[in-house]
Amino acid sequence: MIGLVRNRDFDILVVGGGHAGVEAALASARMGRKAAIVTMDADKLALMSCNPAIGGIGKSQLVKEIDALGGLMAEAADATGIQFRRLNLSRGPAVWSTRAQADRIAYTRFVVDYVSRHRRVDVIEAEATRILTERGHVAGVELDSGEVILAPAVIVASGTFLGGLIHIGQKKIKAGRMGEKAACRLSDSLRELGFEVGRLKTGTPPRLDGDSIDWSLCARQPGEEPPPFFSARSPRRSLKQATCHLTYTTDETKAIVTANFTRSPIFSGQINSRGPRYCPSIETKFHRFVDKERHQIFLEPEGAGTSEIYPNGFSTALPEDLQWEAIRTVVGLERARITKPGYAIEYDFCPAYQIKPSLVTRRLPGLFFAGQINGTSGYEEAAAQGLIAGVNAALQIADEPPLVFDRSEAYIGVMVDDLCTRSTTEPYRMFTSRAEYRLSLREDNARDRLNDYARKYGLVPAEECAEFARLRERTEAAVAHFASTRIRIAELGELGRRFKRHTTVSLANLLKQPNISLDMALPLLARFDGGFSDDRQVVERAAIIIRYSGYVDKQQREIDKFKKMERVRIPDDLDYDSLTGLKKEAIEKLAQYRPGSLGQAGRIEGVTPGDVAVLSVHLRKRGVAFP
Amino acid sequence: MSYSSVRKTRTSRPRDCHGLQETSSPPPSDDTIVALITPPGEGGVAAVRLAGARSLTLLNRHFKPHRGRAVRPQPFLMRHGWFTDADGSAIDEVLAVYMPAGSSYTGQEQVEIFCHGGDQSVRLIIDALIHSGAHAAQPGEFTRLAFLSGRIDLSQAEAVAAIIAANTNNSHTAAREQLLGGYSEHIGTLREHLVDVMAEIEASIDYPEEEIPTAERKALLKGMSELIGEVKDLADTYRGGRIIRDGFKVAIAGRPNAGKSSLFNLLLRQQRALVTPQPGTTRDYLSEWIDLYGYAVNIIDTAGLRTKGGHVEKIGQDAAMRVISTCDLIVWMVDISRKRWEHELGRDMKWLAERRNILVGNKIDLTPGLARKRARIAAGRFNLVPVSCLTGRGVKRFKDELSAAIRQNLPDLTSGVIVTEARHRQKLKLALGHLRKARTNIRLGESPELTAFDLRIAVNALDELTGRVYTEDILDKIFSRFCIGK
Repeated sequence: MIGLVRNRDFDILVVGGGHAGVEAALASARMGRKAAIVTMDADKLALMSCNPAIGGIGKSQLVKEIDALGGLMAEAADATGIQFRRLNLSRGPAVWSTRAQADRIAYTRFVVDYVSRHRRVDVIEAEATRILTERGHVAGVELDSGEVILAPAVIVASGTFLGGLIHIGQKKIKAGRMGEKAACRLSDSLRELGFEVGRLKTGTPPRLDGDSIDWSLCARQPGEEPPPFFSARSPRRSLKQATCHLTYTTDETKAIVTANFTRSPIFSGQINSRGPRYCPSIETKFHRFVDKERHQIFLEPEGAGTSEIYPNGFSTALPEDLQWEAIRTVVGLERARITKPGYAIEYDFCPAYQIKPSLVTRRLPGLFFAGQINGTSGYEEAAAQGLIAGVNAALQIADEPPLVFDRSEAYIGVMVDDLCTRSTTEPYRMFTSRAEYRLSLREDNARDRLNDYARKYGLVPAEECAEFARLRERTEAAVAHFASTRIRIAELGELGRRFKRHTTVSLANLLKQPNISLDMALPLLARFDGGFSDDRQVVERAAIIIRYSGYVDKQQREIDKFKKMERVRIPDDLDYDSLTGLKKEAIEKLAQYRPGSLGQAGRIEGVTPGDVAVLSVHLRKRGVAFP
Repeated sequence: MSYSSVRKTRTSRPRDCHGLQETSSPPPSDDTIVALITPPGEGGVAAVRLAGARSLTLLNRHFKPHRGRAVRPQPFLMRHGWFTDADGSAIDEVLAVYMPAGSSYTGQEQVEIFCHGGDQSVRLIIDALIHSGAHAAQPGEFTRLAFLSGRIDLSQAEAVAAIIAANTNNSHTAAREQLLGGYSEHIGTLREHLVDVMAEIEASIDYPEEEIPTAERKALLKGMSELIGEVKDLADTYRGGRIIRDGFKVAIAGRPNAGKSSLFNLLLRQQRALVTPQPGTTRDYLSEWIDLYGYAVNIIDTAGLRTKGGHVEKIGQDAAMRVISTCDLIVWMVDISRKRWEHELGRDMKWLAERRNILVGNKIDLTPGLARKRARIAAGRFNLVPVSCLTGRGVKRFKDELSAAIRQNLPDLTSGVIVTEARHRQKLKLALGHLRKARTNIRLGESPELTAFDLRIAVNALDELTGRVYTEDILDKIFSRFCIGK
């Protein structure tokens, strides 16, 4: 279709200005490419549509990795956070996870400002309605105005807007978010191009007027002081810190919700798509866990400048009148006023077997998918994919091999590998238990793991890389110092009891003991100073390395085994039908997912170890190299 | 195709079902494979199996049905006809049956041909099929196909090998149990328990803010100890399991000319070993199998042990010592017609006492009157079984003692699951080590991600045992058991 062709020499077009879209545009811009974000509302970049929080367990690791790769999310959260906490502090550092409540409006404003200052990123306020192709390659997008924008790479990060349909009770509204138009034509365009399009569901709770809440009945949950920031590079400033509160549903809540299951579209048959099991609606909670009498609700402030409250744990699609009735049975919310009703939203996604680990689609070279279109959920998951898609779109234009992390390198690698080997039955969310090499993939070592990549692709300024190299050296020196310095048991006082049979113990051994926290050990370490104790960051990093050293070595052996299978590459054009000895189901799955390596083939559901053995024999015959 | 290779097909264990990491396995043939699947030699009927995509094509080429034309045969319907060579001349009158892919032992399209027993017709039939493009099956290849097609899992593949090799009723029972999947099921139950524990721990890590009924440390420890006990019990069945699979190994040992070879021949009911009145006749050792009341017993006749003697005999003695050290039991023969036997036995007992043994006093026929009475008292002192290999007296009692000793060393077959493969025991031991580490960590109050690490390796070890891959079952478990999510 020849519309008004506007070729402004963009290298990369990003459809959608959410968390994925923004990181995608910024990452490709950092790599020297000119990018444009096509979004329906230029003032709502990186809007937090649901929970006003960044991070959390498994997710904060993603945020730290985004930060290590030059992304914006960590900085934005630090600059606009109103409460910071580290979860799991009573467990080991591998599962410590930072979580921040952010001021929703300030967050978006921060991102809008940042993007507008970036000279290689443009924002086009329009609805993208069609993906354009030329000779089997993506060529650009068509806008609702009929205007055509050309670019050699397009990243679709459409979130819940793709075919979005909101449900409140029996009411159905076509929308991407409450009050915002859905993108229906784009999803038709994807179907026309031959993509399989599926449906997923998610939901959000009603928002409450904080002035109508009786805070005295709720338990306070203050943040940490000083706030544990996400980013290694942001200036350490933040807004005035706020408090969250914890409260509970009551018997009455249970009675009302239980009596009205049929009025929720989730049970009435109105919604057929699957929602996330880890983030169930309040009606699902009472429905599935009949024995549980009450559920906890976290009351989270939406921002410093507003009294609006997000009741985390009360996601619902009940009709509005019932939402009012039910929310007022929660302790402290007896007089609560709903400012915006909760709702369930169904949206289109493209099952992720249609993308490669670089996030490029198999069907159409140059077209990338990132975020909820791949079946994930969560700002952090989306942002991480956006960043990878942006980097790989830039690499594709430069005709360079894509950046793909494996499961032992990053949570991002775990997520992308999961997407490329498993069918999506619910929106995908990150958990630490998904990462089998969890002890090696930590918040604290995200930069250790990824800095080389960041430097290689120019995602982080060179001086920052050099500074990090110095930090690394000092950490290593500290580890060596702690291993070689011994302390007399007599000097340990109370702590010395556990070393009965010794007269001295190395500082490293001391740090390895369970129940000895860094805070307990710090005063001691200060006495045996190698010049480190003044730099808590170095000591902390060294202590974590020491604490896990034996385990990480053991894990490394597992990783070596894993890498061996990953290194056996499978040609992308392998004709699985021609391979004798494979089960029919395996042929179907392998042909669908097209694993890049023998290891990946083994992780595809429906592919048995026997199939992998057959595959390995065929690969050997074809002369594929086995390490 | 020579007979020796056909024979190998029948008796060898599948070589290729020990995990995917092993890379030395030959590639599976894309083609159709053929082999004799019944024991070679004279017999009423012999069976030849074809497996692979061209099995039916080959059958149609070589099979002329008695009545009717060579239409596509119905699956599992036995047909009567003639097997012909490529020129169409008849080789043998046979029965043939066709099994479609997916419902045969190998999972592949498969044909079995039953011809008259005996070397000649079997060889001609196999030669004709090879001439038409089939390949001689490699050892264990049928079972490998079955494993690769996903029809049986790893432990079942190993069980098939064990059933083929099983030479007594008991070993057959253990192998059959494994094949029927009872074994995998048992491991599966263990795994399930392990995943339950992991789900608790993982849920507490991934959902620290949720009101998960966190497992009390005490309850967790109790669960862990039970698991450890179960895995250990299973691993411990290996000793007995190995005996069931490999048979009970018994060395007949003693000083020269005690009559060891005579007892050996008696047990075998044939003159297998050379027997002379000359001490030191047996210089090498002899090994044979007997079926003793349903137990496979490997009887080994060793050279007499003494310090004197020529060089060759010395070599025989070294071999004897080596083989004795691998045996489960020593039958120590004493010639009680000798004057100084009590003195000699007293000295030998120092060495014998450390080993499981049965003492046998031979040549009671040569001790007359008073000497016999004395011998009986002495025999009582040493708890000796008096026999006469010449007359056969006392041999029945000896056999009873022997089978009682074997029974003592066997696991309880009725309890079901027994580990018979060294590979399995190794994986179970690996799992056991990590489970113990995990328990220690729980006890010490270590952080849960370390416990989870060890548990995960333990689960992997069990998965490697049955050849199952890691799945998302831990998350599934978490979601199904706990109300989680905000």
